[in-house]
Amino acid sequence: MLTKFFLFSTIIFSTFTISESLYKFESVEDEKRFYSLIKEIRCPKCTSGSLASSNAPVSEDIKSKIIELIKEGKSDQEIKEFLSDRFGNQVLYNPGFSKDTYFLWFAPGLFLILILLIFFFRKRT
Amino acid sequence: MTVLIRFIIIVITLMFFTFFYLYINDDKYYPGADFTTSDMPDFEIKDLYSERLFNIKDLEGNYLINVWASWCITCRVEHSFLVKLDSKDIPIIGLNYKDEAEDAINWITRFGDPYKYIIHDYKGELALDLGVTGAPETFLLSDGKIIVHYRGEVNDMIWDDVFMPIIKKESLFDAN
Repeated sequence: MLTKFFLFSTIIFSTFTISESLYKFESVEDEKRFYSLIKEIRCPKCTSGSLASSNAPVSEDIKSKIIELIKEGKSDQEIKEFLSDRFGNQVLYNPGFSKDTYFLWFAPGLFLILILLIFFFRKRT
Repeated sequence: MTVLIRFIIIVITLMFFTFFYLYINDDKYYPGADFTTSDMPDFEIKDLYSERLFNIKDLEGNYLINVWASWCITCRVEHSFLVKLDSKDIPIIGLNYKDEAEDAINWITRFGDPYKYIIHDYKGELALDLGVTGAPETFLLSDGKIIVHYRGEVNDMIWDDVFMPIIKKESLFDAN
């Protein structure tokens, strides 16, 4: 009897029955935006993990801040700027196009041209 | 053809080394330090000991802001250096980060108080706005603007390498 009672109570009081979403959103779109944003932003305390993969205290704070900003009606771009202003450009996985990143963006093209040149040069000889 | 390929391999290797040489020798680059000037964010946070509210107007002038917490082990290591700075009349403002007021006060009474005053950022709101990722972190403020942000323990070496050149350049804190 007692065993049955305990088995039954484990079902009744299991965390599953009282579980709910950790973050609250006003709409499904907001929720989708949040989950795509946290995959695109790097956790400042981790070597190279995204916010989604991290539960470091600072990541949790940033996640709550992102929700707050989404509720305020900020765009994805504005949220990314807000965070890169505070934590540096390294929090963005997708680096912006600026003076510091020209090398990063143009290098693959330059290398491609270089290799094509070698290729054509070889054909002729 | 092989000559050309050899030439290209050598050029690329040289480019690679030049790139890293320039990167390492860049004066502005120091691990953990950020020298970009930014505005101090606005805030309204209580004092650690009283109900007094601090805001951005209390930070006009030249200060060091040190982010610390009683649960932070590195802060304990750093603390004696801060006490030393305080004895040199460098004004330091404490930003107590995500800490219980009682624990923080006990910690300060035990190890000494190098701070002019301590802001009790219990939820870490101001810290988040400052881009704090943990404790300890130290900011150098000049006329209400952040000119240095250092992530990690400040000691004699960091002070001389990161803070002193800027302090001398901007001629802050008369003592030095």
